[in-house]
Amino acid sequence: MFGIIVGTHGLFAEELVKSCEMICGEQKNVAAVTLIPGEGPDDVVAKYEEAIKKLDCEDGVLFLNDLFGGSPYNAACRLVISNEKYGIVTGVSLPMLIEMCSAQLADDGSDIKALMERAVEAGRSGLQTFHASQIADDDEEDL
Amino acid sequence: MNIVLARIDDRLIHGQVATVWSKVTGCTRIIVCDDDVAKDTIRATLLKQVAPAGIKSHVVDLEKAVRVYNNPKYENEKCLLLFTNPTSVLYMVEHGVDIKSVNIGGMSFKEGKHQITGAVSVDDQDIESFKKLNEKGIELEIRKVDTDKKVMLMDVLK
Repeated sequence: MFGIIVGTHGLFAEELVKSCEMICGEQKNVAAVTLIPGEGPDDVVAKYEEAIKKLDCEDGVLFLNDLFGGSPYNAACRLVISNEKYGIVTGVSLPMLIEMCSAQLADDGSDIKALMERAVEAGRSGLQTFHASQIADDDEEDL
Repeated sequence: MNIVLARIDDRLIHGQVATVWSKVTGCTRIIVCDDDVAKDTIRATLLKQVAPAGIKSHVVDLEKAVRVYNNPKYENEKCLLLFTNPTSVLYMVEHGVDIKSVNIGGMSFKEGKHQITGAVSVDDQDIESFKKLNEKGIELEIRKVDTDKKVMLMDVLK
């Protein structure tokens, strides 16, 4: 199995995992790593290493970070650069995390790059708009 | 019609249904079977907007739901049926719809209901309908998502 680590500025990661659990139930192989004001990249690297020890990461680690170029991302880069089984996707969102949790049940994660693509796609398709003018019944097939 | 899941959940199509159940059941249609919701055009219209990609969603009253069930056109369709309460399920069963198991996902607390689990609250009519479904040998299991352990409703109703 691959491990999922959500790494963010502040408590967002912890709360995002909790939100995900409201929908998908308890997640045993997902960790939340937070960067608290006053901490630096070294602290985050240490937290990532701690999380990797606790999770089943036999087939790799997928880091889901909030911000490209931010400290949680930069810290993850340090671990990812020396391990081909690790990967990072930024712009973490609830649809992305849900998709990766369901991937975790079905996929061993041996193809980390395919998982990264799938995470990006889930994040993209999670962006939708709704406005009264968009209501259309015409393509609705009636039963 | 191949009923891949019959679920009571008064939130109808929401996160757990749209992302988890639609995938694990492999359904091609989600059919909301409820007289009140079918009459509520705004709610019905909005429900049709939130069908997961590749899945059609419909809102029908119970009479029509039975007709659709018996329509040979949908004989091989994998359908996920959603209900807001057990009385609607009982109507379907009493009109010949073959439901062997009912998943109870969420029945919200309202005045006059009492809470039997975190996600499930029932009133007297719900209890009566659940008892009748149970007498017919239909499994009544409480689970929010498929990976949860099944809790038998009749065990917590006592």
